[in-house]
Amino acid sequence: MELIDKLRILADSAKYDVSCVSSGSSRKNTPGGIGSGFNAGICHSFTTDGRCVSLLKILLSNQCIYDCAYCVNRISNDVPRAAFTPEEVAELTINFYRRNYIEGLFLSSAVVKSPDHTMELIIRAVRLLREVYRFNGYIHIKAIPGADNALIERAGSYVDRMSVNIELPTSNGLKLLAPQKKKEAILGPMGFISSKINEASENKRYFRNTPGFVPAGQSTQLIIGATPDHDISILKLSEGLYKRFGLKRVFYSAYVPVSDHPALPKAIKPPLLREHRIYQADWLLRFYGFRADELLDEKHKDFDMELDPKCDWALRNMHFFPVEINKAEYSVLLRVPGIGVRSAQRIVRARKIQKLGFDDIKKFGVVLKRARFFIICNGKYIDRIDASETFIRNNMLADRKRLPSFDTGYTQLSFLPPLSSPLLNTGTLEYGQITTDLAVTSGDRSENSMLLLPSSEDVAASLTGEL
Amino acid sequence: MIVYVYDGSFEGLLTSIFEAYYKKEEPSAIVRGDGLQQDLLARYVYIETDPVRSDRVYTSIRKKISEEALKNVYHVFLSEDPEAGTIIYRYLKLGWKMGKRVDLHLSDEAVFRVMDINRRLEFELHRLLGFVRFRQLEGGIYYSSINPDNNIVELLAPHFAERLSDQNWIIHDVKRKRAALYNKTDWVITEFDIKDIPGNTAEEKQYSRMWKEFFNTLAIQSRNNPKLHRQLLPRRYWDHLTEKW
Repeated sequence: MELIDKLRILADSAKYDVSCVSSGSSRKNTPGGIGSGFNAGICHSFTTDGRCVSLLKILLSNQCIYDCAYCVNRISNDVPRAAFTPEEVAELTINFYRRNYIEGLFLSSAVVKSPDHTMELIIRAVRLLREVYRFNGYIHIKAIPGADNALIERAGSYVDRMSVNIELPTSNGLKLLAPQKKKEAILGPMGFISSKINEASENKRYFRNTPGFVPAGQSTQLIIGATPDHDISILKLSEGLYKRFGLKRVFYSAYVPVSDHPALPKAIKPPLLREHRIYQADWLLRFYGFRADELLDEKHKDFDMELDPKCDWALRNMHFFPVEINKAEYSVLLRVPGIGVRSAQRIVRARKIQKLGFDDIKKFGVVLKRARFFIICNGKYIDRIDASETFIRNNMLADRKRLPSFDTGYTQLSFLPPLSSPLLNTGTLEYGQITTDLAVTSGDRSENSMLLLPSSEDVAASLTGEL
Repeated sequence: MIVYVYDGSFEGLLTSIFEAYYKKEEPSAIVRGDGLQQDLLARYVYIETDPVRSDRVYTSIRKKISEEALKNVYHVFLSEDPEAGTIIYRYLKLGWKMGKRVDLHLSDEAVFRVMDINRRLEFELHRLLGFVRFRQLEGGIYYSSINPDNNIVELLAPHFAERLSDQNWIIHDVKRKRAALYNKTDWVITEFDIKDIPGNTAEEKQYSRMWKEFFNTLAIQSRNNPKLHRQLLPRRYWDHLTEKW
């Protein structure tokens, strides 16, 4: 088989993994070596579906022994199979890198023979790159669930990032769609990697030349819409992963039908809008200081498809507003719909030297379309605004021309089986139109709770793709 | 209305700022001499570049305002914005009054424009770090042509000198006829207007074909989104991207 055919097959098999980032590592080039890390990451191209191409994302092999229903490479699927040798992977990486096509390598693999054997093949490829080719660019690899900890540790000493994909957010889903995978086999390596990362950074404090371990941290991926899980369980899982395992990123992938397994939803369009809302919420967790249980709760288990999660939160928490631009702390400004990290930082900087009015903040680029309902400058709203929840909601929905273009003509599907029904073992699932629960308690704004304390000194946080 | 005209060099611009600052009659604009469109009502004063005066301005920006301000000013100059000279002059005037806190005056028109132009330039610079495509020419040199909005070839060079330190390369700004040349130890910026560039090596053809194959395989059909694609990878860069040929 020609190299180009292998490349096509093994890139095709790898493309459903959405992780694309090359950030978090500032590895330096060595004399006689090639490549370097760039801390913020670099996108080298973009596919026609609008995803970034940063790394040479390929599988080492797609000859899998597992039969996970959601996966294109499952053993029972009739697709062309191929495998690279570690030498071919290294050669390809270096030559793509010399032409600045890529920022580095993202090497994953189907489980060939056994998890340990697969992990060893991956290690051979990355060792070749680092030690023979003296490659100092970015390398991201998959830790194969079930592989021995000693192998994972060895791999970790060569690479910048490691990831283990959780894929299905609940163990019920896992049982149904990936019967050969166990929750423990996934969370085990994540815990191990995270403890090794901590150990390495702890050692760095005492010894200067301690070997690094996965300097760009670990990430994972969850599939959205292959199982009937609510947004709340997805978001809570992500929050837990960020906090407990110190993950750099959790990626979300709208389920793209790759199989007609009876337990999977039939030929639906990928729930892109839902994926988008979950990403928005993920950002709120990581950069805006929100907690998962503020955004969703038992009454609202799924995100509103019409409003973004921050607006939705704001409308349910009107007692928090209005916010005084000249006094509110940075963390409070960040909670205003329509004010992002950049705007909040500009406000905090600019008000050090002058009192800000609406004209001033408009001049430096704060967009007031949504924010105007929630902020006051020097005690006044920009306009006569009825700061009631219904008024704002109606205004925002009228303002909004339409949903993001990728969703035109498509209705969001959701799984809303009755809670008492046996969720997963029926084989057929019922889809209903989403019924967003708009019943929000209003009229409980107390005047006192609207007062905001002035901050002593605001510190603007730095913004990169990842913290 | 008085308009100062400089020769298009950074030193020329700084000399004009020196003149403007000390003359009684303040110019209402400072513009480049090349490609100048004369306005009937304006009186044009041609400023001769003076290294001593431009040095004084240069040092004074660093000492009396900040290193950051110097970088900001230089980036605005590289942006080739038609109003660059005028914006820089207004920004510096406020800077000499306010010192290093000048950058906090975001609601001042000149400060905001300086910040805004810097943001755009840095965004394009970052994009180009990814969008530069080298191809291996007969003889072994890796060549890349670019056509950026800002004059940033000299800002790109250090990045590639660090990571591709063991290969000879050229980054050629085709519109401005300038290039960064690297010979495995140092890089230089030169005038560069060579039309007959050697052909690609056989190896090159093989890898560019594989890259295109890889690129075309990656898109997921059911997520296709050409509008987003063009937003992230604007048309104006396509001519120089291997995967778009």
